[in-house]
Amino acid sequence: MAELGTTTPGGYLLVLAILLPLAGIILSFTPGGRSAERVALYSTPFGFALACAIALHVGRAGKPIVYAIGGLPPPLGIALRADGISAVMLIAAAVIVTAATLYARAKFATPEGARESRSALTFWIMLQAIWAALTIIFVGSDLFNLYVALELLTFAAVPLVCIDGRPETLAAALRYLLFALFGSISYLLGVALFYGSHGTLDIALLAQRVQATPVVWTAAALMTAGLLAKTALFPVHLWLPPAHANAPAAASAILSGLVVKGSFFLTLRLWFYVLAALPTDKVAAVLGWLGSAAVIAGSILALRQARLKLLIAYSTVAQIGYLFLIFPLAAGSQAWSAIGWSAGLMQVLAHAFAKAAMFFSAGLLAEALGHDQIAKLGGAARALPLTFLTIALGGLSLMGLPPSGGFTAKWMMLQASIASGQWLWTLPILAGSLLAAGYVYRILAPALSDGQVDGQVSLELLPKRSHEAIALALTMIAIALGFAPHSFFDFLEIGRPMSAVLP
Amino acid sequence: MSDFLSILLVASLAAPLALLGACFVKRWRRHALALQWLAPIPSLAIGLVGLNHAPLTYDVPISGFTLRLDPPGALLLAGAALLWIVVSAALWRDRQPDDRFGLCWLLTMIGNIGVFVAGDLISFYLFYALASIPAYGLFAFSDDKDRKRTGAIYMAFTILGEALLLLAFAMLAASEPHGSVRIADVMDALAASPWRDAAAGLIVAGFGMKIGMIPFNGWMPLTYSAAPIPAAALLSGAGVKAGVIGLIRFLPLAVPLENWGGALAAIGFLSTFYGVVFGLTQRNPKVILAYSSISQMGVITAALGMALVKGQTDASLNIAFYGANHLLVKATLFLAVGALAARGAKSSYTSLVLAAVLALSLAGLPLTGGALAKLAVKAQFAEGSAATLATLSSIGTALLMTHFLICLAVPLPGAAQECPASLIRFWPVLALGAILLPWAFFPAGGDASDAFELGNLLDGLWPTALGACLAAALGPALRRIGWSLPSVPVGDSIVLEEDAFRGLLNTGPSLETLDARLRQWPAAGVSLLLIILVLLTASV
Repeated sequence: MAELGTTTPGGYLLVLAILLPLAGIILSFTPGGRSAERVALYSTPFGFALACAIALHVGRAGKPIVYAIGGLPPPLGIALRADGISAVMLIAAAVIVTAATLYARAKFATPEGARESRSALTFWIMLQAIWAALTIIFVGSDLFNLYVALELLTFAAVPLVCIDGRPETLAAALRYLLFALFGSISYLLGVALFYGSHGTLDIALLAQRVQATPVVWTAAALMTAGLLAKTALFPVHLWLPPAHANAPAAASAILSGLVVKGSFFLTLRLWFYVLAALPTDKVAAVLGWLGSAAVIAGSILALRQARLKLLIAYSTVAQIGYLFLIFPLAAGSQAWSAIGWSAGLMQVLAHAFAKAAMFFSAGLLAEALGHDQIAKLGGAARALPLTFLTIALGGLSLMGLPPSGGFTAKWMMLQASIASGQWLWTLPILAGSLLAAGYVYRILAPALSDGQVDGQVSLELLPKRSHEAIALALTMIAIALGFAPHSFFDFLEIGRPMSAVLP
Repeated sequence: MSDFLSILLVASLAAPLALLGACFVKRWRRHALALQWLAPIPSLAIGLVGLNHAPLTYDVPISGFTLRLDPPGALLLAGAALLWIVVSAALWRDRQPDDRFGLCWLLTMIGNIGVFVAGDLISFYLFYALASIPAYGLFAFSDDKDRKRTGAIYMAFTILGEALLLLAFAMLAASEPHGSVRIADVMDALAASPWRDAAAGLIVAGFGMKIGMIPFNGWMPLTYSAAPIPAAALLSGAGVKAGVIGLIRFLPLAVPLENWGGALAAIGFLSTFYGVVFGLTQRNPKVILAYSSISQMGVITAALGMALVKGQTDASLNIAFYGANHLLVKATLFLAVGALAARGAKSSYTSLVLAAVLALSLAGLPLTGGALAKLAVKAQFAEGSAATLATLSSIGTALLMTHFLICLAVPLPGAAQECPASLIRFWPVLALGAILLPWAFFPAGGDASDAFELGNLLDGLWPTALGACLAAALGPALRRIGWSLPSVPVGDSIVLEEDAFRGLLNTGPSLETLDARLRQWPAAGVSLLLIILVLLTASV
């Protein structure tokens, strides 16, 4: 197992992937705020290319690629490690960050002659900071390193919530910040326990050393609770709806699509990598129950919201719930756990793209109509056909109708729960689909109707075609995920500890 | 030859999909929609070829989809394609529906064609959803309160059905040991599957929602009366057959399942008589036709149930024939509502007779396609109580259809405007076609000359005559003694289901209160601590 900590070919790419957004942040400061937008914009293609190159290396090698920083293998040094899911998440993050950059250019531009604004500079720098933090989370393999990235993620995400300075956004941001800090403390306590008991924080090394001792379980429980707080799993979702619903659309898309996935990703790392060898059935069931509660409660609450953005935010609460079904459905190393694993990751990706597109569309709607009250959407689809097409296609994925990534995810989840005999999980999966259909229907049915009650729909301003196209492109990715070939799911298995047992 | 057939099979879907693609270009959209009547032509061709051909299978590269056409599918496909061609051509010739309606029409068409040729679970599910969900746009894009309600009810049943089927299909897929999702493979594997009974139950319930099986029948009368006549003709004719083909494909007819078969037959017969009884309480011809659909789909369900009891695999073609006959007749009857309303008192003697023959064809009037349809499912209702019930259902259908003809005398307001002019003009031709075309398609196994046998002629004639006489005599007699039928709301049981649903909605506010409490700081802090504790107790 010595190769776990030695640099492999292509390992340097991981460093570059982290350095790129960090360099962007420094560059944005140096020549002044006016160029921050350009820096962010020009770095995105490189980030995307790097992510693709990493995926290529991982795919070709068929095993994780590693970079030992300073040539020192763990436990002395710190390693960066990218496996199948890291590579896929890196690509997803690069795509969504690119989309958000293009989408936000109009709102956070600093045209020639205009004064530099604080909000523009903040937005571009925080966007790159989030990207950097996510990259570290996806390729990091040291629990303390990951803690730092998690903190960076939170501290970069909070300012995005309150970027326009309205009082309610400040309240939402503070709520987010404080609760995320509780989560951080809990996580850090767990990390400290691991270090004290095992003398290393490297995921691969820990995985070899952990035993089912009370210290390990305490550490795991503390870390998990902290991560759940940051992922906003019901019932600790208090900060998510106001934060996601009040942020500007470009920021909401990043927060809902990517940021919550960061802490979820670490939960996966903890239970499927660090603690892979231990019996975790009961914990998996607890997480599954919490997820199911989130699916049901989040969906019902989404059905009851009056504002479109709040509806979408509660839909995120519900969709996060689905993610946690991966713990019971991918546990162990049976044939069905591979299906459950694929299903969970597919849900992460499908939700990331579909939800980002939905938030973009909600932003366009709010700008065009001057409000985001669902009750007043009557006939709006006629005025904004492309935006509503995006919402409809994104809704397709949320509801789990084919062809879409959401369908593939739910289809595989159902198969995993049937094959594993865990019948119970089929209920929240199906109920969530039905309720999702309900809230998508609530948006689309009035919008597609004639709308003669309120007279002609008046648009305050026509959304830019390019903006509508960005949102549409993201949903098309969510739809295209429904056609993912078998090799894609094999790729997701690369580096997963339990998959080694499979034939 | 088989290459050519494969191309035709692919073209049956590629043609409407190409038109859908053209709709994304604004300049072409109007033309594409106006030309969509051409799209089902390949389907019609392959349907006609596939009738007497060994099952065709084609794996579509990249997508992983499989297309498969067997004789039952071909029969229904040919009928549906014909209907789509005729109605679309007339609709876009005489009036130009708006793009929104046109797109929904095209999507429904694609789904409807697709369900008959889909060869794997995923593509079947996809096309089934396409055949059901966009149909919402054919009648419910409106600010009219009743239409909105109808649309919501239709959507609720559709989505619920989809969810049940998704679970059923996941079970079917999980039963297949090699990971194949082809329908043929999963159905072979189902016999030995531990989830066989659960899957069968879900399949019956899921497709039952599509074909208006009780207690899921409420949406059908509402939808058909809200839909404009051309849309109602399509939905009642071709749309519902998506459920029929689903039952044919996914009920394991090769494995005798006595319990499920018996239950299915019972529900089927129950639906048959339920449709007749509740149809008689209605006066709107469109609603009566919807109840007749519930009743006729009940006959199909019962036939499938009997086939399942006996393990008759060849029943699928016979039942598909019964469905194809219903497809043509029911659609033409819906058009009759418009055609006869437009002609009003000037209706010629011929068209009145045609309407009567067409209506009674459903009851099995001799020499009509309906008589052949009854002949086709005779093997399922051969003996015992099933035979008696089948005869009773014929009497009931005759009764209901005579009631329909009587109600047709009062033109339905707006019906004449809903029906495209050319369909009104050519209605007698269509009616003649619906009566005679089934003769050309009688399943290869059966012998059409049986229909001329004296015994069969009499078997067809007396229930029809009895039912018709009953309806004609009973109505005036009842009216004379001052007794009128109770008035039942359209969709009968749906009112109760709506009440139950409203009760469910009331949980919303309480959940909202709970959410507001949980999102208080102290509660969230406690939740976090509890999570830590629960995780700890679960792991130690």
